[in-house]
Amino acid sequence: MSETISQSLMRLDAPDKIAGRAKYVADLKMKDCLFALTVRSPIAKGKILQVSLPAMPEGYQVVDHRDIPGENIVKIIYDDQVIFPVDEVKYIGQPILLVVGPDKRIVERLAKAIKIEFREEQPVFAWENSVIRYQFTKGEGDAPFASAANTISYTYTTGYQEQAYMEPQGFIGHYDRGKIVLVGSIQCPYYVKNALIRALACDPDKVRVIQAAVGGAFGGKEEYPSLIACELAVAINKIKKPIKLIFEREEDMLVTTKRHPAQIKLAAAIGADGAIRALRAHVGIDAGADIGLSGVVLSRAMIAATGAYTIDNLAVSGDVYLTNTVPTGAFRGFGAPQMLFAIEMFIEHIAKDLGRDPLAYRLDYLAKQHDKTSTSGVFRDPILMPEMVEKAMAMSGYAAKSERYPREAGYRGIGMSFFLHGCGFTGSGEAKTIKAKVKLEKDSEDLVHILIAAVDMGQGVHTAMRKLVASIMEIPIETVIYDYPDTDQVPDSGPTVASRTMMIVGGLVARAARALKESFIPGQHQVAEEQYVQPDYIKWDEDTMQGDAYPAYSWGVTVVEVAVDPHTYQVNLEHAWSVYDCGKAIDELMVLGQADGGLAQGIAYGCLEVMEHDQGKIRQKNLTDYIIPTASDVPAMTTMLIDNPYPLGPYGAKGVGELTLVGGAPAVAKAIEMAINKRITKIPATPEAIMELIKHG
Amino acid sequence: MVNHLLPETLEEALEALARKQHLLFAGGTDLMVQKRAWAGLPRNFEHPVLFTSRIAKLNFIEKRSDHLAVGATCSLEMMLEYPDTPDLFKTIIGEMASPGIRNHATLAGNIANASPAGDTLVGLYLYDATIVLKSLRGERLVPIADFITGVRKIDLAQDEMITEIRIPHQDFTHIDYVKVGPRKADAISKIAFAGAAKTNDLTVSDIRAAFGAVFKTVLRSPATEAMLKGMRIADIKADLASICEAYARLLQPIDDQRSNKEYRKAVAINLLARFIKSL
Amino acid sequence: MAKIEFTLNGEVRQVDIDPTIRLLDYLREDLDLTGTKEGCGEGECGACSVLFDAEVANSCLVPMGNVAGHDIVTIEYFSRTERYRILEKAFLEQGAVQCGFCTPGMIIAAESLLRKKPKPSDAEIKIGLSGNLCRCTGYNMIIAAIRQAAKEGEGLW
Repeated sequence: MSETISQSLMRLDAPDKIAGRAKYVADLKMKDCLFALTVRSPIAKGKILQVSLPAMPEGYQVVDHRDIPGENIVKIIYDDQVIFPVDEVKYIGQPILLVVGPDKRIVERLAKAIKIEFREEQPVFAWENSVIRYQFTKGEGDAPFASAANTISYTYTTGYQEQAYMEPQGFIGHYDRGKIVLVGSIQCPYYVKNALIRALACDPDKVRVIQAAVGGAFGGKEEYPSLIACELAVAINKIKKPIKLIFEREEDMLVTTKRHPAQIKLAAAIGADGAIRALRAHVGIDAGADIGLSGVVLSRAMIAATGAYTIDNLAVSGDVYLTNTVPTGAFRGFGAPQMLFAIEMFIEHIAKDLGRDPLAYRLDYLAKQHDKTSTSGVFRDPILMPEMVEKAMAMSGYAAKSERYPREAGYRGIGMSFFLHGCGFTGSGEAKTIKAKVKLEKDSEDLVHILIAAVDMGQGVHTAMRKLVASIMEIPIETVIYDYPDTDQVPDSGPTVASRTMMIVGGLVARAARALKESFIPGQHQVAEEQYVQPDYIKWDEDTMQGDAYPAYSWGVTVVEVAVDPHTYQVNLEHAWSVYDCGKAIDELMVLGQADGGLAQGIAYGCLEVMEHDQGKIRQKNLTDYIIPTASDVPAMTTMLIDNPYPLGPYGAKGVGELTLVGGAPAVAKAIEMAINKRITKIPATPEAIMELIKHG
Repeated sequence: MVNHLLPETLEEALEALARKQHLLFAGGTDLMVQKRAWAGLPRNFEHPVLFTSRIAKLNFIEKRSDHLAVGATCSLEMMLEYPDTPDLFKTIIGEMASPGIRNHATLAGNIANASPAGDTLVGLYLYDATIVLKSLRGERLVPIADFITGVRKIDLAQDEMITEIRIPHQDFTHIDYVKVGPRKADAISKIAFAGAAKTNDLTVSDIRAAFGAVFKTVLRSPATEAMLKGMRIADIKADLASICEAYARLLQPIDDQRSNKEYRKAVAINLLARFIKSL
Repeated sequence: MAKIEFTLNGEVRQVDIDPTIRLLDYLREDLDLTGTKEGCGEGECGACSVLFDAEVANSCLVPMGNVAGHDIVTIEYFSRTERYRILEKAFLEQGAVQCGFCTPGMIIAAESLLRKKPKPSDAEIKIGLSGNLCRCTGYNMIIAAIRQAAKEGEGLW
């Protein structure tokens, strides 16, 4: 069976989605439902002096911090985000209160009539207020700089990126005999549930969280929905009626989390032979007004400091800065896309500065099995990068094109990125924080129910998990049931994030399926449960950031070819080729779908998607101004998957969701760099930026 | 209670306009965005809306002896498919917005919206199109460049409406159009350039250049064009730098969330230079 | 309010409604036809696509006043057709569906395209889909699905 696991299956959830039958949260209706509208801060920083309400008609209410029965904190990772502010606001768009009522017209009119008096304070937008600082070293750290023949340094900057899932965020909730039930567009049902327990100060059985069909997430529905859920649950707790809170697109873009802007300073100590003796890296990221997940994002970025290369001596540090801007958060790649862009460009720039052939120089440093990782852990499993690079070069004609294009100076370029992505939570997160539990339950009709909290947000986990169980148990897939996760039904298998779902949760589901198969008694109710146990050879020290940051790594090579218009500086994406090692594809077509979509996002991050704030206000507030690719913008893509089974993954599977994004930006940036013969140190490399480089270098 | 109207005849519409201020509404693809409201609620129109879509008489496109006449409710898609629509307009419409929008958007609406980045406007300016306005008082014919007076400002009295647009036939020997958008489709222009010329072997008898999104309206320079008319092509090319300089002085682009003024100006001039070199 | 008569999913309807209400809201709120989605509310994403006189339209930009006298078809009705079955099969086989939020709109746009151009080139497919944003797939599998549907459904469009 394992030989055929990669064979593609038609997605089981697709027919309902194609026909428009799948129910997303905005599609759900409840009798006597009220509507909630959020009143937000118009200023970036200040004290709330007074809130004046208009006369509230019967049936209309305001919900604010005074209505929170428990702690006024959204439980995420770092406890600094309030549900509703008491007396101070920290960013434009911060929710202050909800207006709730049956008629949207009146709700809207009341919300507009609320007058909030502020005393404005000087907001901070510069990156000066560091709230988290991490550092680690490897080998001799940065000591070799003292004796280096030469030091090369560059600073790389990356901007915001908006997840731009097609379905805006939202929840609908109701009060059910003492229990608050929320249905929403979410990635992590238990993040939401745990946040509610804390906000409501209630027993775990008094809140229930159910996933609706999710119209895309990409990290944007990892932690942010917990804030909306807390607001709404507080309202339902007060009013005891069904309430719907759905964001408009503009609201969603202005206030929800985005990818952290980053500034990455890299310096290399170069020996007399031109070899890199040591690397010094500093990663600064902008958390916006709340820390939230930023520490974890920073650590993933720092751990990726050497990208797909092995460098023996390292000194890596990083800061999370607070500013009075919209909080940033999870987004596919989680810190790695920023770092991968920087390090990929940097090694190339070092080679160019030294007059070396960049490709040969980079190949020399590619990580090999048994090498030490950046955090002095070990790459235990085989690394097939040389073979993958060879395949990518053959597919794309890289050698000939990269020789020809610079010579012809015809504004064409080809760029190749090497990258890796650590699968699962960083460090001891899986073992200490998440402790994933899964459950398979066979009923008396021999239907096997998969009980996990993993969310299908488009990546295909619904089909993949059923396929996995059916394949292991050798039963028809129709007899494997996997409903939308409901915290009243499923154990906490952890959040649907960090490229962990197939490798970690799928690994546990596979074990449970094997156990159930072995003990199978027809017609009998049976249960199999599994809990994550960290392999004991995996060691991680949280404080020193030393050891194995991840149990396994997925690898990739991406090549992008571009033509730059010499009159308009616009970039035409000609073609993209990728080779990925994600262990073993549980379903080839689904992995290829992740590959296409991830790469489109990664390339667009590198050259298309501009988001900025002006004095704390996001300037690109809708899909007209925030430009994501259309069908006419994406290049044709050719993708190859390499089998390299990971012993602890189900059938050898590793993570895939984020891997496919992280190589896009450096590949396209290198291609543009070749086309215009200038150094790119900043993304997105827009036509405006390209013009500036051409004119002023 | 606001009384929105769906007249079926032009007369009904004009009478209503004579009585009271209305918002004229054709395809609505711009207005529905500008007047947006919370999902589920009516849009935020401050005046009663007069929907023109039911006025059958305005839904036409017709080639006449010296111009193409486009009715006020003729959709851009209908214009795209009409065999006698000039190629320039087919190119402009083909790159404009998306199929769903083109099926409803109208030329009249694009004009009345009077955005500096309005896609069809560079073509209309280049062709010296005329706007036909009707009211109970009569009819006015206004050149496009006079009709649009500023950013989202038009010379339309409260009782008037656009009934048709006249695009004169032209026999240009050269035509060029470039829409510089942030992506290849479904995008608002950062810059638009249209150039046209009529040349014989050596000289230029007519030459025009229109720029979008780099000035408060679409920009043409009658003075520069007049100066170039009758010149030898070789002389124009030799004089390229000073022609570009003349236009560069006129452009007044802005910084916004889509681009910046340096880029807009430089690219507009690049496109002009390329057009002139192509003569 | 205005009396508006039109055809929806094959049935003639007369409604008394504020003509500035969006067709999208009428479909979703009044009739519970939720296969038509709201992704942006400004005609940019195409999730709200419906067939308006057999051609794709953004129902978020169409007020009820402009529906009078016209023929509207939503995904719920189109999904009963043979052409839908060809498109569905192609979308399934090519892996063109991920989160699914854009998919009904993509199907409507594909139908509109194939009616005009039964044998579209890749460039024509891209233009036909250019008003429908998808953030999951990178589009290539959707383009392949439409290519497949055009081939397998030859003669139907």
